[in-house]
Formats: sequence, structure tokens, C-alpha cells
Amino acid sequence: MKNPFSRRINYAELDEGQLVALAKEDRAAFGELYQRYLPKIYSYVYYRTGNVHDAEDLTAKVFFRALSHISNYVERGVPFQAWLYRIAHNLVANWHRDQGRRKIIALDEYVAHSLTSDAPDRLAEEQEERNQLLEAVRRLPEDRQQLLLLKFVEQMSNAEIGVIMGRTEGAIKSLYHRTLLALREEIGAIQKGDLKQWSDGKEG
Amino acid sequence: MSTASESQLGNLLELITSRLQRGDDVDPFIEQAAEDQGDVADLVAIIQSLHTSLTPVIPDQEYAENLRADLLEGRPGVAGRVRQMPARLSVAAILAVFAGCLLLMLRRIFGSETTPDVPEEAVATPL
Repeated sequence: MKNPFSRRINYAELDEGQLVALAKEDRAAFGELYQRYLPKIYSYVYYRTGNVHDAEDLTAKVFFRALSHISNYVERGVPFQAWLYRIAHNLVANWHRDQGRRKIIALDEYVAHSLTSDAPDRLAEEQEERNQLLEAVRRLPEDRQQLLLLKFVEQMSNAEIGVIMGRTEGAIKSLYHRTLLALREEIGAIQKGDLKQWSDGKEG
Repeated sequence: MSTASESQLGNLLELITSRLQRGDDVDPFIEQAAEDQGDVADLVAIIQSLHTSLTPVIPDQEYAENLRADLLEGRPGVAGRVRQMPARLSVAAILAVFAGCLLLMLRRIFGSETTPDVPEEAVATPL
């Protein structure tokens, strides 16, 4: 149902709680929530899927699902943002399951963007390291990937991440430490693999 | 590694991460950490790489606007999709729909005046 006063409301001035309450019956209010959270959800989905096409597709699904379920949304200690991330997390998990395997794809647009500078050798080397890092991140279990994306892409505190992931602040801190150790192992494995591939190629 | 030193390392990694994110200098902490615990340097290098590699990605503006329109107006129907097509395609689509309607109308008008040919063998006559 459209809010008859919607033209008079300046949605940008409303806080999240007010917007969510309005958005249950007013699509324009949902539009403001969409504006606020689209970049965050898109970034999250993009890094989890590794390509623009699936990121766009899944991001659209996240917001359509949110729109269709917002009338049932009740804030019980879980902010709207956390609720959106949970929808995104579930959809990405389903997507990975449907793929049947973990996709390890270079973030091609990211590469192209980075190589436009004027020091191609150094940048190519940096890009190689970055690709290894991103590949290592995508080899981690889902909860660890989620933690890293929320911490670095969204720059959230451990407390905020805890709300989204349904864990305590202390548990997130501990998980972060373990994640870094696991990431170091993964990077080592990838580098060893690359070295083996290189030496096999040389012998062959 | 003992629980105490594990916790110390955890605190240090947290501290370095948050200083990096604030844009503060982390070198003094790294030097100190390297003296105290040898293997911390590579973890700090990973944190620095994560900080520079995992940056926000902005969606395509056209995609963002179209998705917003779809959400606010409901999914576009056939007419909406035709409107979103390039001009040439939308003219072709409209002509195709018009031609289809015309064909159906002509069939209805001329089809009713002539009875369909029924093969003689198919007409069942009671004996």
C-alpha cells in the first residue's frame, strides 16, 4: 500500500528503525533502505561469488527477498543491516551449493582496473600476489570468508560482526586470529602449487 | 604456543588491523612484535594485503537504477520490458505484436466463412 503522505517525507533524514517501520507499507521507504545498503550487499556478494554477473543476480535476489519478507521483520536484537547480510549469506551459500563446487575465479574487472597504471611489471607482480590472496580467501570456510569481508570491506567492529554472525565479540576476535593463521597456510599451499606447476612446466 | 601468548598475539593483530583501518602508522608495532614474536611479521603482511585488496566494490549505476525501479514499481511487465529495450528492438517488438493480432483477426473473419475440409473417410456414417 502506498503511503498517502510519502511525498512529504524526507526519507534520507529518517533513521533505520523509522525507515523499516515505514517500509512495511511504503515502497519509497524501502527504496531509501535499498540506497543505503546496496553498495555493502553488492560488495559482499561480489567477493563471495568472484564475478559481476552473479553478484548482480544475487544482489537483486537479496533485495527482492527482503522486500517480500519485510512485513514479517521484527527487530529482536538483529538490526536491519544484519538481517540483509543474513539473507545475502544464505543466498550465496545456496549459490555455491548449486554450483556443485567452489568457484575460484580471478576478479577480472578488478585486475583490469589495477593494470591501467604506468608501472606494468610491478603492478603485474602485485596483482599476482593479490590474486593469490583472494584465491586463498575463497578457499576458507564460509564463516571465515564472511568475517574477513565484514572486517575489511565494510570495516566493521568485532561487536558489529558478532551481531551479523550471531556470535559474541570475543568469539569473533578468536575466529579472526584463527582465520589469519589458516589464511597463511592457504597462501603457502597456493605458492607451493604455483612453484610445482612452474617446475613441472620447465621439466616438460 | 601458550594460551597467554596466543591471546597476546590475538590482541596485537586486532590492534594492528584497527590502526591500519584508521590510517594510523603501524610500523612501531610491527617492529616491536617482530622482536617479541618472530612469526608475527608474515601475519601482519597478510593483514596489510587484506587491507589493500578487500576494498568496497561499487555496482554499475545503470544496474542500480534499474533494480531500484524494479523494486519500487514491482517487476516490469511486458510493456515495461519493451520500453526498456533499445528503440529499434521496441519498434520491432510492437510491429510483431501488431502483426500477430492482425493475423488472428483475419483468421477469425475469413476462417468462419469457409467450412474446413473434412476427409471423406473421416466422416462416420451410421449404417
